[in-house]
Amino acid sequence: MRKMFLIGVKDVRIRARDRASFIMLLAMPLILILVLGMAFQPLWTDKPFTINIAVLNEDEGEISNILINDVFGSDELKDMIKISFVKSKEEIIKSINKGEIAAGVVIEKGFSESIVKGENTKINVYGDPEQTIKAGVVKNIVESFTLEVLKRRIIVETALDFLHSENLIQPSEIQNLISTWLSEIESKENIVLVNKETEKKDTKNPLAMEYYAVGMGIMYLLFATNSGAETIFTEKRIKTFDRIKVAPVSEKEIIGGKLFGIFLVALLQFVIIIIFTSIFYRVRWGNSIPGIILMTLSSVLAFSGLSTLLASLTKSEEQIGNIGPALSMIFGFLGGAMWPVYTFPGWMNIASKLTPNRWALDGFFNLMYDGGGVISILPYALVLLGMASIFFSIGVFRLKLKGV
Amino acid sequence: MDIVKVERLTKMYDEKNVVDSISFEIKKGEIFGLLGPNGAGKTTTVSMLSCLISPTSGDAFVNGKSIIKEPMEVKKKIGVVPQDIALYPTLSARENLFFWGKMYGLGGKQLHERVDKVLQIVSLTKRSGDLINKYSGGMKRRINIAVGLLPSPELLILDEPTVGVDPQSRTNILDTLKELNKNGLTILYTSHYMEEVEFLCDRVAIMDLGKIIASGTQNELRLLVGEMDSLKIVTINEIPRSLAGAIKKMPSTNEVEIVDKSIEILTLNGRKVLPDVLEILGKSDVKVKSIEIKEPNLESVFLHLTGKELRD
Repeated sequence: MRKMFLIGVKDVRIRARDRASFIMLLAMPLILILVLGMAFQPLWTDKPFTINIAVLNEDEGEISNILINDVFGSDELKDMIKISFVKSKEEIIKSINKGEIAAGVVIEKGFSESIVKGENTKINVYGDPEQTIKAGVVKNIVESFTLEVLKRRIIVETALDFLHSENLIQPSEIQNLISTWLSEIESKENIVLVNKETEKKDTKNPLAMEYYAVGMGIMYLLFATNSGAETIFTEKRIKTFDRIKVAPVSEKEIIGGKLFGIFLVALLQFVIIIIFTSIFYRVRWGNSIPGIILMTLSSVLAFSGLSTLLASLTKSEEQIGNIGPALSMIFGFLGGAMWPVYTFPGWMNIASKLTPNRWALDGFFNLMYDGGGVISILPYALVLLGMASIFFSIGVFRLKLKGV
Repeated sequence: MDIVKVERLTKMYDEKNVVDSISFEIKKGEIFGLLGPNGAGKTTTVSMLSCLISPTSGDAFVNGKSIIKEPMEVKKKIGVVPQDIALYPTLSARENLFFWGKMYGLGGKQLHERVDKVLQIVSLTKRSGDLINKYSGGMKRRINIAVGLLPSPELLILDEPTVGVDPQSRTNILDTLKELNKNGLTILYTSHYMEEVEFLCDRVAIMDLGKIIASGTQNELRLLVGEMDSLKIVTINEIPRSLAGAIKKMPSTNEVEIVDKSIEILTLNGRKVLPDVLEILGKSDVKVKSIEIKEPNLESVFLHLTGKELRD
């Protein structure tokens, strides 16, 4: 164990003296956090998160009123979504072009009636391409609403068909019942529930600096662990690996030492990022210190495991040097380092859950914005630890096969 | 007493015998040389003895411990100086030595003492705080050797430790090794430089194509090919022909030819007989002008045994 520790500490010492590593692993993420945080701050304002939308309601029917008054106007959304009513589609497009609204909602004539009759109808949402996040939120809400309406219509239709076929209801009562049951959408719990994640409900709104501190910090963790894994090949090239092997050091201690080094470098990097961003960028990492520690350790372990696996699958410094950064970027973007995952299409949202980045980000956001603690982040930490054990098991097995 | 015993050691790569059933012994306190051209199998042999790679068949014992069954025990008894400079370039010499010392289980006061001692041996105490990447090639080589000496090994294995080193550093390294051997350290030294092996080694095994083609002391190897030293002395005054008989009676002397003011002697050991010859000449008032000893070297032994030169 002592030799394993010594090998790891030696790796940290060597890395600390490497100016290129310092720039890559510490200066770069800190600069990126600052640049992205400042550039995208308007989208992540600390002021109440508001979305200006324009609504053209050509329907004025019961169901469109539910959407406007009871969904957009609900207690949960009314402070966030500011509606202005317009009389034409052109007005919407004009306002979008001027940047006055993030999205425009057009409810076509006869929308409510078509719903009741079971005919096809639609709501058009126009979004400002420069306000994708806000437009995405509106689109998300409208989609959730229409899905809910569709779901209820199917239920109601099926139920009425049954009642009618059993002569339990008169045809004249059917329209009234449809209206009554559809109006229950007013409860709209499901719609607002879908958007809980998006709006961060009653919690603090994220600052861009905070979002990117986590996003970039996590993304650069993989850079750090990859560069640690690269040293396995470096030590082979400069023959120090062979020298350790001819010393009375067991294979377990050698592999363990290298993995410990990978872990230690990444841990130090992330801790420095947390401390630096807390002091200089005023990033609020959450109030639960044990939670932050648990998320940090489980994230670093997951990425260390991933890099170990990568080292076991590659053959040289060059290979891991080329594949590593590409993987870090892909996982970073897919995991939500650049843009919140709720703006992703459905399949991408699912795919992002295959990356440790997504779980690490969600865990930290839980600590930062939902006031979470150890218990609430436990699922995220457990997934990360599970990933770590899978990656480490395969990686170490393959490294042993390769005779490292 | 044998400190190393190698028994039919074989290493195969891709069905080719890189080391082909070699056997030899190294006695405690001697410098044993493995001489051979590049690709002869020297590095593979020392890699097996260092427990870096496993033999395909055969075994070797270091102080009675098998390299196959007890590699950890073997590793504790040996110091290894690899052909390449295996050091961390961005750590100082002292930091490197501390790290490697700890890998050998040293610690505390003992580690400090050993690091100071080996730095003193390789004469780099003053520069020990410098980073390795600031060192010259020769200095790096010396630290490379210092690491091998750190654990106070019973056997020091050096694999071509002077490759790419300037002549001055090479002399320094060889003198250091001689000195260490005088203090009782057993050394296994591989090289393709014939002069180094001749200068250092008590006994030599000549390797080619994975096999040991001859082994023994340098004299034994020379005798093997029947070549002798040629000792030529040129004098100021004429040499009495009667001296030829007395000189020829000296041990291991084969032929003596006196021509006017010069004498040429064929002997097994020119350096050994030289003082006696000078004494005989002195007693006859013959004044010496110049002395020349031509010794058959291991190069000529290798050429004789393989039909090719060492550098081929």
